[in-house]
Amino acid sequence: MTRVKCSKLRGKKPDELQKQLEELRQELNTLRVGKVTGSGGAQKLGKIRNVRKSIARVLIVTHQTTKENLRALYHGKKYKPKDLRKRKTRAIRRLMTPKEKSVQLKKAERRQWAFPQRTFAVKA
Amino acid sequence: MGPKKETKEASASAKKKDTPAATTTATASAKKTTKTAGNTTTATKVVTKERKEKVKSTALKAKQRVVRGNQLTRKRKIHTKPTFRRPFTLRLQRQPKYPRRSVPKRNRLDHFAIIKYPLTTESAMKKIEDNNTLVFIVNIRANKPLIKQAVKKMYDVDAEKVNTLIRPDGEKKAYVRLKADHDALDVANRIGII
Repeated sequence: MTRVKCSKLRGKKPDELQKQLEELRQELNTLRVGKVTGSGGAQKLGKIRNVRKSIARVLIVTHQTTKENLRALYHGKKYKPKDLRKRKTRAIRRLMTPKEKSVQLKKAERRQWAFPQRTFAVKA
Repeated sequence: MGPKKETKEASASAKKKDTPAATTTATASAKKTTKTAGNTTTATKVVTKERKEKVKSTALKAKQRVVRGNQLTRKRKIHTKPTFRRPFTLRLQRQPKYPRRSVPKRNRLDHFAIIKYPLTTESAMKKIEDNNTLVFIVNIRANKPLIKQAVKKMYDVDAEKVNTLIRPDGEKKAYVRLKADHDALDVANRIGII
């Protein structure tokens, strides 16, 4: 069987991908039976690896497209599933947002506005 | 009880009020509009006003009680046992604002993963011919009902029973006895083990 290419897979619809997945799995099954019964030979045995990797490719493509679509679906929403949020690090996620940090007392705000830091220069 | 009280009061106040204009002033309505004759002094006028307000308020209260039910006096529950058990309270179902996982986990133990491959050893062959059973190497996390389902799905055969054991090398072996209307030999030919 020819190598299954990811670029070709991305064009397919999800049901087609599912069908292809099933076919590949069936093929893998028969190959494994062949391995046990001793039929086939080197070619068939080598095919096992190809089929396994093709199955992986189909799964990757399915998963990637689903995730993409979900991200588009949740874009801009306030509450997203946790695996669609930014990962960064645990500590960073718990830090204050820049907006939260910039919050000041009204008194301090007014003071800043009324008495800003002045810079003077001596005319040469 | 309320309205009656109020009418009593009304009539009482009417009586109190007074004789000259008695007949005209006696009314059963909540709002008393009393006409005081010209000859009343300020003292009597104040009394009537107070009276009016009291009557009004009692009437209003009575109406409210009728509508709302008497909430000021509470019913006391009677406890007939010395123990107090926590009463059943409202338990709401979850209404999550977002799913925690965007994609639900896929089932890693599906039919393809359960049955790894059939065995083709001499003893396995004997089982096929004599006992109408097929022998498979199976995922170690699979249990008998799952194996039954998987065999049905993959090879279209009904299993009468499944016996399993774990081999010393860590793999699970499943003896799947097929139902009498299936022939293990045919199925084996179909699968590819001969």
